[in-house]
Amino acid sequence: MFFKNYRTVIFVSVTVVAALILLSYSLKYDSGTGVVKKLVMEAAAPVQIFFNASIEHVEKAWTRYIQLVGLEEDNRVLNHKMAELQAELILYKEGYLEAQRLKKLLSLQEEYQHNFIAARVIGKEQAALSKTLWINKGSAHGLKPGMPVLVPLGLIGRVTDVSWHSSKVLLLIDENSNVDVLIQRTRVQGIVRGAGSRGCMVRYISKIQDVKEGDVVVTSGLSNIFPKGLLVGKVSHVNRMDVGLFLQIRVAPFADFASLEEVLILAAEQQINSTGTKAIK
Amino acid sequence: MIFYLLLPFVSIILVVLQITLADVLFSGLLTLELSLVVVIYAGFRLDVVKGIILAFMMGFVFDCLSGSTLGLFTLIYLLIYIISFFVSWRIVSEKLYLVAGFSLICSLLESLMLLLLYRFVFEFDMLSNMLLVFVLQAVLISILSVGFFYAMRKVEGLLYGKTMQPPRRTGTGGISAEA
Repeated sequence: MFFKNYRTVIFVSVTVVAALILLSYSLKYDSGTGVVKKLVMEAAAPVQIFFNASIEHVEKAWTRYIQLVGLEEDNRVLNHKMAELQAELILYKEGYLEAQRLKKLLSLQEEYQHNFIAARVIGKEQAALSKTLWINKGSAHGLKPGMPVLVPLGLIGRVTDVSWHSSKVLLLIDENSNVDVLIQRTRVQGIVRGAGSRGCMVRYISKIQDVKEGDVVVTSGLSNIFPKGLLVGKVSHVNRMDVGLFLQIRVAPFADFASLEEVLILAAEQQINSTGTKAIK
Repeated sequence: MIFYLLLPFVSIILVVLQITLADVLFSGLLTLELSLVVVIYAGFRLDVVKGIILAFMMGFVFDCLSGSTLGLFTLIYLLIYIISFFVSWRIVSEKLYLVAGFSLICSLLESLMLLLLYRFVFEFDMLSNMLLVFVLQAVLISILSVGFFYAMRKVEGLLYGKTMQPPRRTGTGGISAEA
């Protein structure tokens, strides 16, 4: 009866006393790792591994998220930087290409003993009836009508209209352009006339003359306009079948008229006199 | 019966969880003693036999896994359960601010018991070093207890349709859903 009435109190007391005994025993004997403790630790180990793995995943995801936030900012900055560098690179590339072109022009100037004036192409007129360039040098720089205009690859035309600070250049391919030339291999003389988009035609060469495709055409120097030996182009087609006294010779100019940016104007021929000083004609 | 079968495993999971979380959140400076909150909750909501066994099991597992002297937290949790059990006669668990205050006191009491044990058994004075930690831990447990009691009230509501009443109020020896 007593146990039935006070069983709860007895149970609580027994439990507390058991805890006290356990504590006292542990304090007194320092039992270390007992069997029960080992069992609890064994059971807890997989749980601990599971929680650690979960937390590790969360930490990794969080770190990745933080990195992504940083990456977005980095990406923005780098894109901006890349755009700046690309613009800078284009400038440098442009400068490099310009330097290359100018170097070629300079080599041309050194190659020919002439007085050259360098000019920049500021406009092009490639209409059906007119093939001209507009350059940024004029009479103030010494330009006069009729002066030959060259690029490193050869002759491209001559100055026609001159204002103080700009000039018009009549291109070889203009149908109004006529240049006295000769075939370099056979020294046969003719006149190159512009043929628009087809290039140029050499006229007044007799059918009995030896002209072949691939022959180089140069200026003859017979007129007072163009000095002798300037490259004009290459024979691209010879027609002997046509009716008439002369050959139909098509010439492909060396210069690419579509991509002209800087040109040299042959102002006057230099001559080295007996004292070694240069004189301009 | 299922309560007694699951209790050891749930205790292990809870203690491992609180150790892991404390390590992650506080780098080991504070202990996130969810087990203490559960013991206090047991004092308010469970009958004596279940509550005592739960407190014993929680304390024992905590002793085993925290590396403290075996029996130390077992005894402390038993005492806190008994105190909670008697206090629950006066405090209604629905009043969360009272629960928070009581949890704060329980945590401080636990710290006091630890201090005294270390002072008289190991002759080591922890008060100067650990005072701030104990206070912070008590505040943390106070906040946790509010959340835990609130969450458990919702769970009880979902399981039983309404908040269950403590057995001493229903006059039975077990948990009852009767009003």
